[in-house]
Amino acid sequence: MTEFTLPIAPRRRARPLAMRSVYLIAPAALFLLFFFVLPLADNAMRSFVDEATGAFTLARYAALLTDPFYLRIMGETVLLSAGVTVISLIIGYPVAYFLVRKAGRWSALVIFLLIAPLLTSIIMRTFGWQVLFARKGLVNNLLVNQLGLLEQPLRLTNSVEITIAALVHVLVPLMVLSITSVLQGIDRRLEESAQILGANRLRTFWEVTLPLSLDGIGTGAILVFMIANGSFVTLVLLGGGLQTLPLMIYQQFNTTRDFGMASAMSMILLVIAIACLWLQLRIVRRRGA
Amino acid sequence: MRNLTRRSILGAGTVMGAGLLTGGFPRFAGAQAKEITVTAFGGVWEEAVRTCFVAPFEQKTGAKANVSLGGPPQWLAQVEADPQDPPVDVLIMTPDLALSAAKADLVDDFTVANLPNLAKTPQELTDSVAGKGTIFDYGVGGITFNKETVSQPPKSFHEFVDRVSKGEFVASVPSISYAVTPIMLIWAMAKALGGGVDNVDPFFEAMAKMKDNLVFWGAPNDFFNQMSSGEADVGIYFDGRTWNHYDSGATWIDFLNPEEGGSLNGVAVQKPKNADPLAWTYINEILDARNQEKFADIMNYGVTNTDVKYSEKLNGRITPWQKTAFPPYEEIAKVRNDWVDRWNREIGR
Repeated sequence: MTEFTLPIAPRRRARPLAMRSVYLIAPAALFLLFFFVLPLADNAMRSFVDEATGAFTLARYAALLTDPFYLRIMGETVLLSAGVTVISLIIGYPVAYFLVRKAGRWSALVIFLLIAPLLTSIIMRTFGWQVLFARKGLVNNLLVNQLGLLEQPLRLTNSVEITIAALVHVLVPLMVLSITSVLQGIDRRLEESAQILGANRLRTFWEVTLPLSLDGIGTGAILVFMIANGSFVTLVLLGGGLQTLPLMIYQQFNTTRDFGMASAMSMILLVIAIACLWLQLRIVRRRGA
Repeated sequence: MRNLTRRSILGAGTVMGAGLLTGGFPRFAGAQAKEITVTAFGGVWEEAVRTCFVAPFEQKTGAKANVSLGGPPQWLAQVEADPQDPPVDVLIMTPDLALSAAKADLVDDFTVANLPNLAKTPQELTDSVAGKGTIFDYGVGGITFNKETVSQPPKSFHEFVDRVSKGEFVASVPSISYAVTPIMLIWAMAKALGGGVDNVDPFFEAMAKMKDNLVFWGAPNDFFNQMSSGEADVGIYFDGRTWNHYDSGATWIDFLNPEEGGSLNGVAVQKPKNADPLAWTYINEILDARNQEKFADIMNYGVTNTDVKYSEKLNGRITPWQKTAFPPYEEIAKVRNDWVDRWNREIGR
């Protein structure tokens, strides 16, 4: 019978650090190579090849970058992501501040409430918005039947506002958690010093706390922007008349089966995401974080 | 004695990983028993396929039919990517994609020699996909309504457009992200309003008139949510899905085939070239009258074998395919992308 033992391996001479690092990153690097870099390269190739003739073409990029319709779609994609990021910041910063400075023993409960929405499926959450804001939903029922404030129900779903609200609902926890981790690391004595030197609470926040928390804002903004930039399910279900690149890519695959155009659109979406990431990092670094 | 060291564990893991990456394991497993891979949509469709087609196939042949869940664009893309060794042996397709597969010469001809039950399927339904497949199941894209809020539903597309435009009710129609919209909505409504494949202006004019009282559904379940939450009172939807909701307890929902004829939304079955020949046996089970009767009973959709006798429950529900508007799939496929582009620019979602 074969006997298995697990002896302590003899200590070998330590390899150079660089060599060991290569071994450590190899699984992740190989995974990225096979499942990200190569498919991405294939996607990029497809966007430059005419499917009928097999010849190199820039026609798709020319259409996407010169047709006012597609330019508007790109604009809507960036504006939506930027809008969701700004609103998430406006809502998220005070929550993070409260969490770090005021919540005390309630902080665990606040964090749980904050991440609770993330524990349910995005589809369920999005349908929840429909139930709440439908023509005969909870909100309209309250306004029309219970309070008698309106005669006719409002058209609340299938609007840009509800779509943005649903995205913010999903993404604001990421902003809060990013800012919270940085706020926790700020030395309170710096704020106290500013106040001893005559700064009021608002000036202390503006000139000490906020600049020191820019790193967290930057991280949160990048996370929220990137996810909003590629968001799909919420837009499909709540729509709101918005046309964004992810929706158009899905349409090219599902309805028209123009894979070349879908590839070109996805490459442009990637470039937009990278450009915005670079811009945000520059802004955050310039502000001294 | 054999020492199990970190190096040997890593080595074994690497070999196993490489095996999985290169598909070695599935091949190894496949060598043990005869297996084919068939396709099905998710949910109740999958259950019906397993009960009505997979079970009798496995019983008769002793082979195994693995069910791959997904949708026609995905399956067609898989076959296109590897036509010499297609990853699925049977395709379930929308007719327009079935025609694309036929034109690309990716699928085999359907003959009675290969499929004895094909003799019981109307020839028009095989011709509609260029003889390289056949339609075995169909739904009708008609008018679904909430009978508690709409006591007098619109009986035709004309009346639907007229009353929605006047704001009598809010209607839910499929968005352009839904693959069948060009057929079930654009073509069907254009035809009903005096246009056709060459002229879809009447449809876009109607949509412009209705725009303030329209909501859009991106997926079939989305439509039901809009109806049950009161967001819409009426809409363009499928008969079978409507009756499924009814049978699940939504007894307020009802369906009618518009006077002009709702579009036939067929489901075609095809066999990829180079697929396992055993696929013919499976497809023959799909075309079998008794199996189709069971399938129709579960799905509430019409089936195409002429020997099929619908149950009492279905008799009042199924619209004979001859009373539907039969879409010219080939002509639609040529202009579909132009319609989608026009929709994007004029309607926008």
